[in-house]
Amino acid sequence: MKKLALAVAVTMASSFCAMAASDVAKSPPPAPYEQVSKLVKLPDFLPGMGQLFVDPATLPAGPFLAYDHDGKLVSSIYMLPIKELNPDKRFDNLAAPGGNVDHVDVYYNAGHPGVPEPHVHVVLWHVSATDEARVAK
Amino acid sequence: MTLTRREILGAGGGFAALALSSLAVWAGDIVDIAMKGRVDGSHVWFDPIGVLIKPGQTVRWTNLNPGNSHTTTAYSPKNFGRPLRMPKAARPWASDYLLPNETFSVAFTEQGVYDYFCIPHEHAGMVGRIIVGEPVTNGWTQLDGANGDLPEEALKAFPTVEEIMAKLIVPPA
Repeated sequence: MKKLALAVAVTMASSFCAMAASDVAKSPPPAPYEQVSKLVKLPDFLPGMGQLFVDPATLPAGPFLAYDHDGKLVSSIYMLPIKELNPDKRFDNLAAPGGNVDHVDVYYNAGHPGVPEPHVHVVLWHVSATDEARVAK
Repeated sequence: MTLTRREILGAGGGFAALALSSLAVWAGDIVDIAMKGRVDGSHVWFDPIGVLIKPGQTVRWTNLNPGNSHTTTAYSPKNFGRPLRMPKAARPWASDYLLPNETFSVAFTEQGVYDYFCIPHEHAGMVGRIIVGEPVTNGWTQLDGANGDLPEEALKAFPTVEEIMAKLIVPPA
């Protein structure tokens, strides 16, 4: 009986993940995600990232979902303030609805409206490194 | 003998180039300061970071960073309770966020030293300094506590008054 319950739970969890990934594959993602450029004064399409959506309740970490000019999901971005990377703070159980990850970039960002302090971008790319060009400008 | 601009640059190198750009600042009514940044947002700055202008001149800031928003915000208790780092008699300014290619201008009449910052990038050291006319004796720069709670990165970034007075224009480091 326990095995059956576990199997049902695993099946439900994996179908939830699959559904979540397909839900966010095209822009705009469903609520509670909102267009970042409508939340704060930022360009709607950010060179190097794309058009961003975020659930405001998850700020500053995100994930921010990034889309190319055709509305296809290219990456999920986490924004982690450097001052919060310390022994007393953790970022646990961050959502990851974007599906398969091709590769990951990590880099420093000086700040911007929405996350107005130096932070780290952790970028889960759902496309190949070559296809990053889709959001280059 | 008349030198072309290219000959002046060739003969005098960096000094000649600096002299030309410095003279340009003093010649016009409007002095331009660009807001710039790397594409990935890892570094942001004002260019120039320090400038000497004449009373009556206008400074125009333009956001030339295609992937970020910036502000020019005077250090004043009237702006988010920040420490006063400008002449008391002058009116503080706050541009709000400027999107790429947007501009904001301020006309300066009161003599003295003015410090300003970019709201989302103060902690990254995106600050600037304008001197109008000449530094005022016993102005805020001589006061204890003028540094207030400014981030270390911001304090390190300001060009000195002496450097601005000597060069007229101080480019970003």
